[in-house]
Amino acid sequence: MILASLSQLWNSAWPAGMTMLGLGTAFAVVLLIASEKLKVELDPKIEQIHEALPNLDCGACGYAGCTSYAKAVIQNPELIGKCSPGGPATAQKIAEVLNLQVSDSGPMHRPIVHCRAHTNDKTSLAEYAGLQTCTAANTLPNAQACKFGCLGFGDCTIVCKFDAIHIIDGLAVVDYEKCTGCTACVKACPRNIIEMVPFAHENMMVVACRSAETGKSTRANCKVGCIGCGICAKQTDIFTVDNNFAKIDYKSYQPTEQTETAYNKCPTCVIVYRGPSAPEPRQPAPKTAAAKA
Amino acid sequence: MDTLNILLMGFISVVIVNNLVLTKFLGICPFLGVSGRIDMAFGMGLAVTFVITLSGTLTWMINNLILIPIGLEVTRYVCFILVIAGAVQLVEMYLRKFFPSLYDSFGIFLPLITTNCAILGLCLFINLWGIDNLLEAVVLSFGAGIGFTMAICIMAGIRENLNLADVPQCLKGAPITLITAGLLTLAFMGFAGMIR
Repeated sequence: MILASLSQLWNSAWPAGMTMLGLGTAFAVVLLIASEKLKVELDPKIEQIHEALPNLDCGACGYAGCTSYAKAVIQNPELIGKCSPGGPATAQKIAEVLNLQVSDSGPMHRPIVHCRAHTNDKTSLAEYAGLQTCTAANTLPNAQACKFGCLGFGDCTIVCKFDAIHIIDGLAVVDYEKCTGCTACVKACPRNIIEMVPFAHENMMVVACRSAETGKSTRANCKVGCIGCGICAKQTDIFTVDNNFAKIDYKSYQPTEQTETAYNKCPTCVIVYRGPSAPEPRQPAPKTAAAKA
Repeated sequence: MDTLNILLMGFISVVIVNNLVLTKFLGICPFLGVSGRIDMAFGMGLAVTFVITLSGTLTWMINNLILIPIGLEVTRYVCFILVIAGAVQLVEMYLRKFFPSLYDSFGIFLPLITTNCAILGLCLFINLWGIDNLLEAVVLSFGAGIGFTMAICIMAGIRENLNLADVPQCLKGAPITLITAGLLTLAFMGFAGMIR
């Protein structure tokens, strides 16, 4: 009985099996011919470099993704250090694959935001109710009183793939624990107030303002803007005042007594520390009746 | 003349009235996944058109010339998937050789054409509709591909403009895309009954 049904099963199954086998073989032959005809020669080094890369496809190197960067770096070894999320370790690995020596690329670059004004520090001339993006707001002259400060709509937050920059109370704040230095936010900021800076120390001293207006207008627009008074420049050479705002020469910045004095003397407290363990910025003393008198 | 009429009617029917994506709800995965930018959507549409034409034609031939004479209609699904997977492999090799940038930008969605149910659906619909000559099967398959391309390009155009629209926070991203797709479908329902 069981034997009979088994043979019946076999009898009805083998034509199906043979058909599938035939069709499968036919397609296999077609694909085999196609794979020979349409073969793409790939350099095995591309695969090796691709493995060494972090595979985040962030675009910091200027290429569409890690695969295209791997191809480009083989053509032109000068591009080795371009992978900022990978850092020096990745550069070293790529150099090993390509049989090259890599020179020390220096400290990591991380973005800093040249503004420290939260919502309460800013002045608005009118209420902005347009498209809620920085790019749109930046096309209007009066989206906020300061024409140089952070608009706080978070274009940088949107482009960040690492969840490393957030709008906190109207100001873009970088989370240095998560940041990989991919420069996406630098490109996204329509006001160009995010700059890549070599972080030679854990926390960097930063003049968090780019307001090129005169001290008087800056004071009217913002409680914590740089008024270009030059007190910091008198303390040490790394500060220079140009265009009504102070700049720091980040390459030669060293934490010294003079920089600390400049930090403490800044009348609008616009010199701040930025970094993974940066202290809370000083707050400007509120103008009291006693101070006026 | 009569044949031409039938072919033309069939073509319009499968492109607009019986559009696979918008009235049969097949192939939603690439429809939502690759419709972010119009140039990629168009490339995807072309790839699907190629695969769907090739596999629609081949499956009609396999079904009518091999399976029905032997009486093996039950193995239809397996055979059809075999054909589709083979065609997708061909497209993949071709793109990789001649359009590497398009190949890179498709990523996972290219091999996923294999599991695009619009293609298997069309192959089965051709049987369901009782198409009995090869020319009609070719025209219908090609029309289905064109219909898919049209749908995904319309969707991509809308989504490109949607990026600039002021969408409520709770609807941003996938929800508004699905609502858009639903409205688009509703609009295409208006064609129902025009032919057949």
